[in-house]
This record gives sequence, structure tokens and C-alpha cells, in this order.
Amino acid sequence: MDPRILRESLETVLAMDDKFPRRFYEILFERHPQVSSLFVRSSAGAQQKMFAQKLCAIVDHVEDAEWMTRELERMRVAHDEYGVTAEMFPWVGDALLDTLREALGSGFTAEVEQSWRVAYARLTSTLLKER
Amino acid sequence: MRTESTASEISLPWERPRNVFEARALHLVLAWSLDEPDRLGEAIPIRDAVCVGRGGALADDPAPRGQPFRMRPGTTRSCSPIASARISRLHLVVSPTGNGTAEIRSVGRAVMRVNGRACTSAEVRAGDVVEIHNAAVFLVTERPLQLPVVDEELTRFAFGAPDRFGVVGEGEAAWEMRSALAFAASTDRHVLLLGESGAGKELAARTIHGLSSRHAKSLVSRNAATMPESLLDAELFGNVKNYPNPGMPERLGLIGEADGSTLFLDEIGDLPEAHQVHLLRVLDSDGEYQRLGESKVRRSSFRLVAATNRPLEALKHDFLARFTHRVNIHGLGDRRDDIPLLLATLLKRTATRNGAIAAKFFERRGGEIAEPRLAPDLVARLLRHTFTHHVRELDRLLWLAIGSAPADYIGLTPAVEAELNDSEESATVVAPTELDRDAIVKALAENGRSPSKAAKALGLKNRYVLLRLLKKHGLSAASEDGEGEAS
Ligand code: HEM
Repeated sequence: MDPRILRESLETVLAMDDKFPRRFYEILFERHPQVSSLFVRSSAGAQQKMFAQKLCAIVDHVEDAEWMTRELERMRVAHDEYGVTAEMFPWVGDALLDTLREALGSGFTAEVEQSWRVAYARLTSTLLKER
Repeated sequence: MRTESTASEISLPWERPRNVFEARALHLVLAWSLDEPDRLGEAIPIRDAVCVGRGGALADDPAPRGQPFRMRPGTTRSCSPIASARISRLHLVVSPTGNGTAEIRSVGRAVMRVNGRACTSAEVRAGDVVEIHNAAVFLVTERPLQLPVVDEELTRFAFGAPDRFGVVGEGEAAWEMRSALAFAASTDRHVLLLGESGAGKELAARTIHGLSSRHAKSLVSRNAATMPESLLDAELFGNVKNYPNPGMPERLGLIGEADGSTLFLDEIGDLPEAHQVHLLRVLDSDGEYQRLGESKVRRSSFRLVAATNRPLEALKHDFLARFTHRVNIHGLGDRRDDIPLLLATLLKRTATRNGAIAAKFFERRGGEIAEPRLAPDLVARLLRHTFTHHVRELDRLLWLAIGSAPADYIGLTPAVEAELNDSEESATVVAPTELDRDAIVKALAENGRSPSKAAKALGLKNRYVLLRLLKKHGLSAASEDGEGEAS
């Protein structure tokens, strides 16, 4: 997993107006309509911004172990409260990868895909860690 | 051995260096941000070359990171680095030229626009607007690196929010005005407020009253221009019942009402000379006056705060001389850096009063009404508009934008656009270097090679303009290779 590849690819898709986070939720809700009912506290636009910004912050801080521990613990607690369960993680992971693939086109190389798969797997295992 | 130095030992106040408040620099003031709407008004000083981008410094930054500050009189609080996801880690490199301008270079992903025109580098000066496409809008301002200290009491409100009298602003002009109003308030002398209509003279009068020893009584406020001339004396001094005309109700008169308080007379320049003389007589006799139709001499202890948007010649010389303090109420042209904060305040007020507008145009975060969906091009254009009626006009334009909004965001609709002028030629010479090849190639790549979208991102009028430019640079919109070369 190469943090530079994560950053480069995310910066590229984020520079494309607000399409990236919007498309991500579109894909997720299309495939798993049942999760959309968990997203009630924030407007779609705000949720999209918060998601993009958090994802970006995570990618910016992958090498910062202290930040990651602190932030992911906060996220774990929050997502628990939102009613997020383990089975939903691959749904989100697949939607994320497919959104990146769609947005990057030929820029979504095997290397980019691999970096995102590894990063998301690590994130999932931290967020689902036994407490 | 002691040296015979005098310069460093002088401690007379007027000998102390004054340059702390005189050191000035260009600043980039955050006027709009997609991801960080709560950071409006933060300013990045450009004393030496700085890098602007997301997060902290990078090993290969060509210059130190520009530090965003929240500048307040007496303090400048440094803020966290920019965290907006749409701004590249290194996006802008800004270097002062030494002639009151700065060279700004964009090396980030999202296209930069200066005064609406896409470019990769430009020379900017105070008043120019720098946009990072769909990420942030900055206003270039020239201001001191430190604001002169004011009474701490005045600073007890959240950065960017209205103060307790409703005045909004964190720029130099706003603080200069607050300070002048506070000084005037402390003296109990008569005050003349000078400023164009809509600039906020009534709020200024409220501030003086609220900070004065008379604040326990309510302010008596009246617009001289709206009082019928035949009733002026009765309005000012009061009258007994049925005097001068039968059927006239008894009036206390503004002077009587303001006893122990402050009398705010707006548009005093519209008061006919004869009435200025009558008022002057009261001021000269320590508040003695008579109601019409009454022989009894009354006394009112009031402080007069008058306002005018007319040239001072409209006031009689000896009347004018009675105003110890004159305070300038700056129009928006002198405080453009406050426009984003004023917009935010006006919008927030609208949302709290009008649920339908809040539901339609505002984001919700964690169940609370959050930031408005406000298009960056509207903010950018308002920052360049020449206002004649200032805050009142801003409020009106905002309502026009809301009323003409075709969708769920507040943007630059044709109705608003028709009302806006662009101070382009009047303000500054900006030389966005001709829209260069790199910017075009980048915009195309980032907009799925759609000429219409790329044209919009580049700030061009329509896609035909872009197509012409493509031809000029030997590019093609349709080609699939990364460079977009025409074969
Ligand atoms: C890449 C990993 C993820 C990131 C960066 C992320 C980010 C966020 C952020 C920033 C919020 C806003 C509220 C807050 O800050 O707590 C949020 C809320 C939420 N997320 Fe995630 N999330 C991730 C994974 C997931 C997964 C796997 C699910 C499962 C469906 C999920 C479901 C939710 C829900 C239901 C909410 C609350 C929505 C509401 O308040 O209405 N998230 N997420």
C-alpha cells in the first residue's frame, strides 16, 4: 500500500466537482437500499462533504499512527452508535472502489486498486476490532 | 562598561516605536469554503513567499506554509492548517513582489481563477478575488499585521459573529469603527456619524448608546427625512394638546422622550436650516426647551447622535461644531473582507426565522441546521461588486438570489447578475496570464473531457470560447490520451 498513490488518486477524484462522494452514496444505496435508512441526521450534501473530508484526512494521516488510533477509535464508537454492523463494511468498501474505478477510468490501475484494497481492509479491521 | 545610548532608554510614550501597527501586508482572507464554512474571515498574511495547501508543510515545499490567523485587536490566534479535501496538499505559491502586489501561482489540481478568469499564475493586489474551483474563495486584502488594541470588553463575542449590538466584521475598518464608537460612547459628547446610506449608521448609534452610561434607558431613534416639515418642531420639542392646530394630540417630543438617554437622528442633513437652529439652541442651553404652546421651560439631559450621508456643507457651521466626535461608518467598499461574514450572518438570521428557506437551502449536520448551500461564484462576484447601499443592498441581493434560485442552492442567477457590476477596471490591474495550455488540459481532464463543464471550470462564457482556445493551442476536447493533443 503506497500512501502517495492513495493521495494522488483521491485528490484527482475530489477535484471533479462534488461527483465523487455523491456517486459513492448513489452506488451504495442502489445496491443496499436498507442502509440508506441509517443516514438520517445530516442532509445528503453535508454527509457527502463529511465523508469526503474524513476519507481525505485518513489518507493524509496514514503514516501518523497516533492520529490514526485516536481518530479511528472515535469513528468506531460513532459508527457503532449509528447502527453500523460488520456485514456493511464490504458493502461500503465495494462501493468505494467502484466509485474510484468509475471516476479514474484508465487511471484506476492495478496498483491503485491494490493500494485502496489494502487500506480499506486495514481500516475495516481497526473499526471492527473487539472492544 | 555602559554605553552612552539614549535611543533605547527613552520611554516617553510618544517616542516609542509605532511601527507595530503600521506594518502592513497583503493577506488572503477566506471568503468561502466548501468543506470548512466555519473558517470564514481567517487570513493568511503574505509577508514573504508562502505555500497554501491542505495540511501541514511538505518536505519539498518551495516556501514556508502560509499560516491562517484569526486576527483580533491585540491578539492574532493561529488556526489549524487548511483541511479542505478539494485543495491539493500544495496548491498555491504566493510571493510578494514588493510593489503592493503578489505573484500567485497555482500548482494544485483544481483550477485557480483570479477575478473569474482561469489561469495558472497572476499578479494580484488588494481587492482581487482568488478562487480554487469548488473548494475555496479568497479575497486579497491589504491590512496591518496586528490590529490596535481595543477595550477587551468589546472583543467578547465569537470570531466572525455579530457583536452584541449586531455589528458584523473582523477587518481593520470594522475594528477601527468599533473603537471610535466606544471612545465616543465613553465621553457623553454629541456625535456625528458619517456614512452612506445602508452602511449601518443605526447600528453604530445603538452601539454608542449601549456602551454609554445612558444605556439603561432605551434609545430614541428617528429619521429626520421622514418627518413632515410642518410637524418638525412639534416632533422635536413636543406640543400641548390642540396646539398649534385644533385636534392635535399632545406630544412629548423626541427631546423630552430622550431625557436621560440618547437621541438618534438619522439623515440630519435633511433637516431644514431653521430647524437646525432650533436644535442648536437646545444644545447650547444645556437641554432647555419648550413644548409648543407651553410657556414652561423644560430641561432634558440627552446625548445627540446624528447621522448624515450628505456632504458636511449641508449642516450649518455652528450646528456642525456642536458635534465633538465624528465617526466614519465605512461602506462595504472599505470593508470587503467583511462581506462573507455579513452574508453568513444575514443567511443565518434568515434560516432561523424562515423554516422553509432553512429546509431548502441549508445543509443539516447531526440534526442541526448548518451552512447554507451558497455558490462560490456568487460570493466571488459580490466581493467585486461596487455597492451603493452597502449592507442594505447586500441583504437585497441575497433575497433576490434566494427568490430567483432555480434549485436548492443560492447562486448567481441571471436576476442577480443583472444587478451586479464588476469592479474589474475600476479596482486593480490583474494580469491573469493568458489562459494557458496547462490550465485547459487540466480542466478538460478533470471534467470528463466535457467542453461545457471545462469551460465553466475555467470561467469562460461558454463552450464555444473554449473550443476556439483549444484550436489555438492545437488541442482537441475529444481525444482520449492524457495530453489531449490533436493528432
Ligand atoms: C471509509 C470509511 C468511512 C468513513 C471515512 C466514514 C465517515 C463518516 C463520517 C465523517 C460521518 C459523519 C458523522 C461522523 O463524523 O461521525 C459518518 C456517518 C455515518 N456513517 Fe460512515 N464512514 C465510513 C464507513 C462507514 C460504513 C462502513 C458504514 C456502514 C454503512 C457507515 C455508515 C455511516 C452512518 C450510518 C453514519 C451516520 C449518518 C447520520 O448521522 O445520519 N460509514 N461516516
